[in-house]
Amino acid sequence: MAKLRILYETGEPEKIIEFDPAQAPFQHDGQPGSILDVLLGHGIELEHACGGNCACTTCHVIVKKGMAHLSENSETEDDLLDKAPGLTPTSRLGCQAVINDDDEVVVMVPRYTINQQV
Amino acid sequence: MTDSSSSRVTYEATIERIFQHNVDTRSFFLRLRSDQHLTWKAGQFLSLLLPIAGGILIRPYSIASSPEEGNLLEICLNLVPDGPGSQYLFARTVGETLRFTGPWGTFVFDQPPQAECVFIADGTGIAPIRPMIRRAVAGESGPPLQLLYSAVQESGLLYRQEWEAYAQVCPWFSFTPLLSSPVSGWSGLQGSLVEYVERRYVSGDGDRSRHFYICGVGQQVTQLRDLLRHAGYQRRAVQYEKW
Repeated sequence: MAKLRILYETGEPEKIIEFDPAQAPFQHDGQPGSILDVLLGHGIELEHACGGNCACTTCHVIVKKGMAHLSENSETEDDLLDKAPGLTPTSRLGCQAVINDDDEVVVMVPRYTINQQV
Repeated sequence: MTDSSSSRVTYEATIERIFQHNVDTRSFFLRLRSDQHLTWKAGQFLSLLLPIAGGILIRPYSIASSPEEGNLLEICLNLVPDGPGSQYLFARTVGETLRFTGPWGTFVFDQPPQAECVFIADGTGIAPIRPMIRRAVAGESGPPLQLLYSAVQESGLLYRQEWEAYAQVCPWFSFTPLLSSPVSGWSGLQGSLVEYVERRYVSGDGDRSRHFYICGVGQQVTQLRDLLRHAGYQRRAVQYEKW
């Protein structure tokens, strides 16, 4: 079983999901087995304004542990991350980062997104 | 709920008009509730919250109208046979209400760059590019603006009269339609969009100062991105949105 731990920059309580990567997809948005897929499939919300199509940055997460267990970034993902607020060396889009191994991945959901211009 | 979720605004709009572009493409004109106001940039999209199968399906649709048009928003989409979002919308009628969040997206056009600008659209990929071009042609004359617009057949060239009218009144704007599978009688360009872009903007000359704004569905968009960037165009001068 793999483990996904979600921390929130806002300080709300962390959440932990244990799951079998081989059972992906867990729902219909994002890459099958992605952080977004795992979260939504286990009843945990993560913003994904473009429907998980790698066309915005609202599912931006910062990986705190387990980068090696995630799929590689595509150029499209990198182009979008380039415009994400609070970009870090371990930033990923939740809809694209697929958890490959039975290991622990820890991500933080950042506080803000600049996509919304209101 | 995360902070970003709890702070987002949900908008409501009434379907004021539905326009049928062709057999499977429609525009929906959405009148925002009178006490709400939306500010967006040319190129951004709305995230519709569609009540389907007992849940809420989130589906993005680019805004095809201009920010200057106020609270009447146009979205333009194809009916996708296995797409629950488009099927839901095509079953809607005038007077019904839709809910959405937004505006979203970083594929935007604020100020025309001081360089030749090439807009490349395929099919309904014209939606976010339409307000970009409207903004670009509204300014004073500047570097050349081009629209290269690809569709399967002529009926898929949306807003064609608008592009032809701009080409008449704006000497710095040109419109190039290209069809991938035209019926007989089409005398314009035909064939592969990627091959045409290679001939015109890569092997055609050595100018690598152009800026590109590309939108369409599927791998063709990233093929165009890779072609142009590998040919020497600046990474950030090749902006795109792939649906």
